[in-house]
Amino acid sequence: MNKIVAMAAKDIHILFRDKLGFFFTVFFPLMMAIFFGAMFAGLSRGPANIPIALVDQDRTAASERFIERLGQASGLAVEQIPGEEALEQVRRGRTAVLVTLTPGFGAALDNPFVTTPEVEMTVDPTQFAVAGMVRGVLLEAAGAELQDLMSDPARLGAANSQNSLFFESLPPSDARDQMLTFLDLSPRVSSLIDEMGLGAATGGNQGFFGPPLEIEQTEVQAERPGPTNSYATSFAQAMLWTLIGGSVSFSMSIAIERSRGTLMRLLVAPITARHLLAAKGLACLGATLFTSSALITLGITVFDVRPTSYPLLALALLCGSICFCGIMMALSVIGGTEQAAAGIGWGLSLPLSMLGGGMVPLFLMPEWMQRLANISPMKWTLMAYEGAIWRGFTLNEMLLPCTVLVAIGVVAFTLGARRLRWDTG
Amino acid sequence: MLVFDHVSKSFGDLRAVDDLSFEVEAGEVFGLLGPNGAGKTTAINMAVGLLEPDEGVVRFADEAFDRDPRDAENRRSLGLAPQSIALYEQIGGADNLRFFGRLHGLRGSDLEERVVACLDFADLTDVGKKVVSKYSGGMKRRLNLAVAIIHDPELVLLDEPTVGVDPQSRNAIFERVEQLRDAGKQVVYTTHYMEEAQRLCDRVAIIDRGRLMALDTVPALIEVHGGPGNLVVRTGDSESRHETTDPLGTLAELQARQAVDHFQYLPPDLETVFLNLTGRALRD
Repeated sequence: MNKIVAMAAKDIHILFRDKLGFFFTVFFPLMMAIFFGAMFAGLSRGPANIPIALVDQDRTAASERFIERLGQASGLAVEQIPGEEALEQVRRGRTAVLVTLTPGFGAALDNPFVTTPEVEMTVDPTQFAVAGMVRGVLLEAAGAELQDLMSDPARLGAANSQNSLFFESLPPSDARDQMLTFLDLSPRVSSLIDEMGLGAATGGNQGFFGPPLEIEQTEVQAERPGPTNSYATSFAQAMLWTLIGGSVSFSMSIAIERSRGTLMRLLVAPITARHLLAAKGLACLGATLFTSSALITLGITVFDVRPTSYPLLALALLCGSICFCGIMMALSVIGGTEQAAAGIGWGLSLPLSMLGGGMVPLFLMPEWMQRLANISPMKWTLMAYEGAIWRGFTLNEMLLPCTVLVAIGVVAFTLGARRLRWDTG
Repeated sequence: MLVFDHVSKSFGDLRAVDDLSFEVEAGEVFGLLGPNGAGKTTAINMAVGLLEPDEGVVRFADEAFDRDPRDAENRRSLGLAPQSIALYEQIGGADNLRFFGRLHGLRGSDLEERVVACLDFADLTDVGKKVVSKYSGGMKRRLNLAVAIIHDPELVLLDEPTVGVDPQSRNAIFERVEQLRDAGKQVVYTTHYMEEAQRLCDRVAIIDRGRLMALDTVPALIEVHGGPGNLVVRTGDSESRHETTDPLGTLAELQARQAVDHFQYLPPDLETVFLNLTGRALRD
């Protein structure tokens, strides 16, 4: 037993003497804990509000009141936008959901006994989770509207007077008489419930009627460019991971060359350090371009992925590979040994991927984290890939992510090349 | 001809090489010996252009002009077999040779001829297509040496080329080194095995703490720095050792005092020279 304890103690001792091992044993999990904690619980401002576009075709006091209520609801960031522009925003992926309050919405909201208020919800088909959350918030707001109506005798009375006139105009029947009796009694329901002390227990008057809101959901893809299927988005992410894997592997290769002595042999050959750097960069560029191209080719031929623009896809592939070749060179500087290069490569790539939306959609993150995501090359890579595959980017729209990617690649490669250790020991 | 002309190199406060001068002639195996930390690796790195001397000059001199090894083009005339097995193990032996041959500017039939010749030199013709990871330690060592000469360089630097190989492979490497010498190459050979240096090297430089302690042929070094030999005498169950420069005289004196059952004379060798010049204290 003493021998086992001694050997275990030795291994622990060695682990904690190894700074990299210590980092991945203690600090990396801590970083992950802080990252996910911040993402899911929020640090100070809570989770991010989901941006939704809203078009108010009704333009009544009731619709404005509903919009104000939506704006106050936690979880949504409502932006009123003209109709066509709003639709374009969904198509471009800048917002996941478009809510349209059609004419008559306000009247139905003020008088739900005859007509249930209706909204149209246009969703990005890849963002079903967001759509579900928005649907919940819309129903909650409509329910609150109904509760307010039922709690306000004056408003309820006004609605009922209008409805009574309508029902009185119908031919006499038992049903008509019962409805008129109900309308006569309904303004007093709240006070009767309150008198019985049941307000809290019943949750007010919610549920007194059917669903407080009808939501008609349509997908933008039926009319406009969008992912042909779920593979369109999953292949974009797979291509990103190919780049990450390639850059980490190539950053390790320099460390491997150093540890196995082949770097010395290369440096002794009649070539310059510039040749070596160019060769490494070219190999990384070629390999990442090949693998990402092979992946999307597989997606196109087997999984029915339909890029909206092949030239832009080629541009996105090239820019993504340039970016990650630069990252490869920077990573190879940080890691002196192959183990260190691999550890640091993956250790940096994983959080940056998380931050860039490679694992968890950006909309789930707090707003400050979404802003921070701009530093992640993974975000720009995904934007470029998706822009060419299914978001239907124009060349102008593609310029931003591609410029960022190339800039990151050039800066990282230059810094890495300058600081690369040429010692062979 | 490789020339070190009053070369010095420091790393911070450490003077790794201090005023080192020597020349390596064509058709010569030149031994570079020294304890750990003596400055051998620094000297080798300067010879191949990886390090720049602080003082002095390292150059390849020939009849026409002097060439600086830091100039990439000039490195065509040197080949290096590092101490580690510096090969790509995932590809075949012949492909390793082809790759490094291309780096040295070989193409087409010239390259293929050299690949065939080097495989033959390393006695690896039958396994040239086999991936290097499947090779034995001795085969890898021989390929490591063959890669160094793929471009037929004038100067070959061998950094402990026999580490970790069995006696058969070691002997095979010795024969290859002798072939290189016979072909008129300059061979710089570093090793910790004194018997290797004694067998192979025409001249030996012993350096310690960056300084050249001695440089000459092995017999001359032994004569000057070897000191007395050892006469080992056994009488009955006891054995005694006597330092002497006159073994026959010493033996006669001993036999006059008592009967000698067995004796053996151990003349000074290169290891004696090495220890006499560099001391017996451990170097870490």
